[in-house]
Amino acid sequence: MKKICRLIVIAFIMSLMTGLLISCSSEEAFTVGFDAEFPPYGYKDDNGEYVGFDLDLAQEVCERNGWKLVKQPVDWDSKDMELNTGTIDCIWNGFTMDGREDLYTWTSAYVDNSQVVVVKEGSGIESLEDLKGRVVIVQADSSALAAFTGANASEENLALAAGFKDLQQVSDYNSAFMNLESGSADAICMDIGVARYEIEARGSGFVMLDEHVSSEQYGVGFKKGNKSLRDKVEAALQDMLKDGTFEEIAQRWGLEESICLGEEGSDTVKNNEKDTVDEESFGEKFVSVVKQLGEGMGATLAIFFLTLIFSLPLGLLITFIRMSRFKVLRAVSKIYISILRGTPLMLQLLVVFFGPYYIFGISTSSEYRFYAVIIGYSLNYAAYFAEIFRAGIEAVPAGQYEAASVLGYSRVQTFGKIVFPQMVKRVLPPVTNEVITLVKDTSLAFALAYTEMFTLAKQISANMASVMPLFVAGLFYYIFNLVVAYIMERFEKRLGYFR
Amino acid sequence: MKLLEIKNLKKNFGCTEVLNDISLNVEEGEVVAILGPSGSGKSTLLRCATLLETMDEGTLSYCGTSATLNEDGKTVYAAKAQLNVLKRDFGLVFQNFNLFPHYTVLKNVTDAPVSVQKRDKKQVEKEARELLKKVGLSDKENAYPQELSGGQQQRVAIARALAMKPKMLFFDEPTSALDPELTAGILKILRELAAEKMTMVIVTHEISFARSVADRVIFMDGGVIVEEGRPEEVIDNPSNDRTRAFLQKLSD
Repeated sequence: MKKICRLIVIAFIMSLMTGLLISCSSEEAFTVGFDAEFPPYGYKDDNGEYVGFDLDLAQEVCERNGWKLVKQPVDWDSKDMELNTGTIDCIWNGFTMDGREDLYTWTSAYVDNSQVVVVKEGSGIESLEDLKGRVVIVQADSSALAAFTGANASEENLALAAGFKDLQQVSDYNSAFMNLESGSADAICMDIGVARYEIEARGSGFVMLDEHVSSEQYGVGFKKGNKSLRDKVEAALQDMLKDGTFEEIAQRWGLEESICLGEEGSDTVKNNEKDTVDEESFGEKFVSVVKQLGEGMGATLAIFFLTLIFSLPLGLLITFIRMSRFKVLRAVSKIYISILRGTPLMLQLLVVFFGPYYIFGISTSSEYRFYAVIIGYSLNYAAYFAEIFRAGIEAVPAGQYEAASVLGYSRVQTFGKIVFPQMVKRVLPPVTNEVITLVKDTSLAFALAYTEMFTLAKQISANMASVMPLFVAGLFYYIFNLVVAYIMERFEKRLGYFR
Repeated sequence: MKLLEIKNLKKNFGCTEVLNDISLNVEEGEVVAILGPSGSGKSTLLRCATLLETMDEGTLSYCGTSATLNEDGKTVYAAKAQLNVLKRDFGLVFQNFNLFPHYTVLKNVTDAPVSVQKRDKKQVEKEARELLKKVGLSDKENAYPQELSGGQQQRVAIARALAMKPKMLFFDEPTSALDPELTAGILKILRELAAEKMTMVIVTHEISFARSVADRVIFMDGGVIVEEGRPEEVIDNPSNDRTRAFLQKLSD
């Protein structure tokens, strides 16, 4: 036994040292943060490698500076936290400067990019005018979103957005296209380079409108004030421009039309950097965050209560089927429970939302998004509740059934009057656990781009470049769960009069 | 009049023969005590008689109404509706009381008469209070079972069975889960019921109680009725060796 302990300790120390050695390797690392689903700027290719125009540029810059390139895919909503904590050195990923001029330390603009609209072929949408009354999708915290709702959005774009039926945000372009394909959205607004790539990669079926939404520029973003690192990267880029490497890499990715490094005005932002950002006071910030989160809290509460209302009775029904006299029914509910408990809730949500289209070819509407969330959660939680209820029913002593039988109670009466109340008491503690988990699980609705509170908090956090919205969200979940725990405790106390 | 008539009852649990060819008649107003070592089939006999257990062979009837048909020697039960009618004829008091823990004492007694027999709630409650008074629990009608002692719980169980106005009552070792002190209280109630000419079948280990109260004593062993007769015959002058051995052991 002692020997084994010693071996474990040695193995632990060795793994720690290996980790230290790797992190202290002689070559200086240059960590680029990027969204791994943003082709052709940065994405995962068929071989599972991270490739793209921006990553090739970064590679070249690293070689010229003698650095080792580390490609770090990041969650786009969390990019500011990654940058501020130093887990990445820069954001280099078709990163739009417009509207973010004062939030980062920028290189010169190197790509001139437009936002375009992609629709399904034959959808009848041919101009921006046709988007009136339609559902339009953008990536969360993308330049397309900024173009429609940002502080620097143009008048015409604001007017255009006001005419949409809905402007929805998704976390990545893959789900944006799934939404478009299944009919729950009518158009996607995105960067021209990405749009070209996606349309080609997905074969026919999608077209780009000739009209563009707005024009914007890409730069490499560093943590505010990190000018020394910026200057090294900038110098390398200018070198590459001079000797033609920059142009060559652009051609490799079919972006030679879009590049703008070295053109007049490309260094305006870089040269006009303000030293500080205008800070709101903490109080103002807090109030504004809570206000913005309000809508998301409503959505979270709606998911929570509707899921409980549907999943508790459904769980009881599944319990009955699970305990039925018929073998086939029992097997069906067993398989149901096994699948719903054995696969991720997030995947189940995707199946409920996209299944009707991809399995049965039924186009869905954008209203279906909310129903899909509720259906997905209810089906999942019903499976858990069913097993809890079954355990509760089986824990009621046989003597109770016998007493009821001798007294002449019918089956329905026996269950309703004798077994059910005793079951409720027994299942309260495990049900409380599930309910508390549900409060936190509501945040998984982001998988369907349903804007509940946590999704909203991440969006606001990205927009404000602050982690406060996430703390406020955490506080909300905690208080919510305190209330839930208190209420359930009261229930348990109220049922304390019997064993 | 024969209240209960069991003929040629056979019952197996898998390959184990639990009851072998038992016949038992109970007359109105009669008190029958069933004695015997554990595993002799007493409880199973009671459970078959109260329809908690199905018989493999034999017939069962209450007041001449049959609960079973005998087809090719195998027992076939009558329709559920008819069995429900028969259940009004008898009540059963369990060894472990089996009160409903989430109901008050009063509700335990009144719920079945009201919701099964559809009798008037006010009337049932009035009768229930009288029954509770009879078993000495007038002051406990709003208590929950967990607040009561075992003896008090068993008294509620007896009141619950009586509230259904059965023609006869079965008792399955009603005092086995109780202290001697509490046992006396229950036996006193049974004596009172016997004095009121309540028809009762009591499985018990209380020999002196059986001798003083029962009209007839049945001694069971190994799934058969070994000896049957008046208490003074079976208990004081057993003719069978097994009966003698059992009684000898109890008195040691």
